[in-house]
Amino acid sequence: MKKLFQPFAIISKQTFLILVLSQLILALTLWHVTSDGLMPQPGKVVAALAHLSTTKTLIDNVLVSFLLTMKAMLYSIAITLVFAYLSVLPFFKGIAQFIVKCRYLTLAGLIFVFTLLTQNGSALKLWLLIFGIVPFFVTSFLSIIVHIPQQEYDLCKTLGYNRWRTLYEVIVIGKADKVLEILQHNFAISWLMITMVEGLSMSEGGIGALLIKYNKYNDLTNVLALQLLIFLLGLFFDYMLATIRSWLFPYTRSQKTT
Amino acid sequence: MTYTKEEVLLEVEHVDLNYGERSILRDVNFTIRNIVRPGMSQGQVVSLLGRSGIGKTQLFRLLAGLQQPSSGSITIFGNKEVEAGDMGVVFQHYYLFEWKTIYQSLMMACRQNPALKGNEKDAIAKWATAFEVTDILHKYPQQLSGGQRQRASIMQQLLKGSAFLLFDEPFSGLDICVLDKVVDMLLQVSVSDELKTLVIVSHDIETSVAISDTVFILGKEEGQPGATVKQEIDLVERGLAWQKDVRREKAFADTLDEIKASL
Repeated sequence: MKKLFQPFAIISKQTFLILVLSQLILALTLWHVTSDGLMPQPGKVVAALAHLSTTKTLIDNVLVSFLLTMKAMLYSIAITLVFAYLSVLPFFKGIAQFIVKCRYLTLAGLIFVFTLLTQNGSALKLWLLIFGIVPFFVTSFLSIIVHIPQQEYDLCKTLGYNRWRTLYEVIVIGKADKVLEILQHNFAISWLMITMVEGLSMSEGGIGALLIKYNKYNDLTNVLALQLLIFLLGLFFDYMLATIRSWLFPYTRSQKTT
Repeated sequence: MTYTKEEVLLEVEHVDLNYGERSILRDVNFTIRNIVRPGMSQGQVVSLLGRSGIGKTQLFRLLAGLQQPSSGSITIFGNKEVEAGDMGVVFQHYYLFEWKTIYQSLMMACRQNPALKGNEKDAIAKWATAFEVTDILHKYPQQLSGGQRQRASIMQQLLKGSAFLLFDEPFSGLDICVLDKVVDMLLQVSVSDELKTLVIVSHDIETSVAISDTVFILGKEEGQPGATVKQEIDLVERGLAWQKDVRREKAFADTLDEIKASL
């Protein structure tokens, strides 16, 4: 018991699992006990989610959000990789660094500009999402490039590789696993933004549009049920991306086998 | 012991390395010649010894062509200015690409060696057997022990086919059993080809002297900035080269004392 409150103490997996479950039960109990008329109890939220899951509305809306997220992620990764790879060329270094600074721009202030630049609501949502994601992706990837050990470049040089081949081997091939890691770490950002951008063009639906609709009618039970679903889907994608990364890049599994 | 010293293989002339006003290396000069012994392929094993922080790694990078000297020249085979890729380089801690299996890393090196064109797989199999790494060829570096990693790293540079092999602190952090194996391996490599030249940069005086034919001592001279080659010791001339039990000889102990005194 004392160990649980000691810095850097190592506990078994089983103990950790029991600890997390106990904390979860405690949190749910507190939620249940403190809920009044306005705040729905956890049981009601789970029941609402179960009910929503059987409706076509939820499945359709989740699918819309999922497809939009996937599309935005793919575009964002492609744009990120182009600028990140090119950032090692002095000509593009400034542009890449400018993209990094774009993190500080708020999407809300750019909606009108994007409305003028895009043809319809669907494109507006997509490009707002991409604009929101790319600076974070580029920031993460540039940080990886900056922290590449000199020895990786030196090894390429000693093998007689030219600069382009070194770029290919060390950054493109050598850091391919990091692309998925960035995707995994930043997925939460896109998932967070989707609810916001979907509110801009609600005609196509989406989980964000659904959330806004329930919020409008103060249907807190369904709002929380959707939040729970968004949270669970986020966990699922996180797990999927980690699994895909481990499968595609076996060297990321660090355990020794000899 | 019959031998002759023939053509110049590597020549370092008036090399200076400065960082701003700070002099790291000053007027470094030394020459490595091809040692010929009748009836065998005798390569060269040269050690560059010096105290920690004296500039050995900087000189190592210059020799490897990874960095340019502030002035002076480093040439191989008479007149070719050394550049990155000319030398096989085995880094301290035996760096390998973490995202490649050992086989893939070795194949990368083979593809850079025109002499192995079409026979890459055979060459890998042959050296893997000699270095006892056949069973780890399809593993990643992080799955290997320190010794296996070391052998794979040396093999990679051997397969690249350079006549010169540079080693940065190859003996650091090794236990005595592994150290003996490394020494045997280096000696095995040194006799694999007449022109094969091993340059060992180390502060492990005893092990370096035990396997070398020539020692260069890098140090600072009284009142002068930057390190330079203070002394050259021809171990062949002293009868201390190419002997398995050289450590038992009195001349060996005397040479170690001499080196320690001049560091």
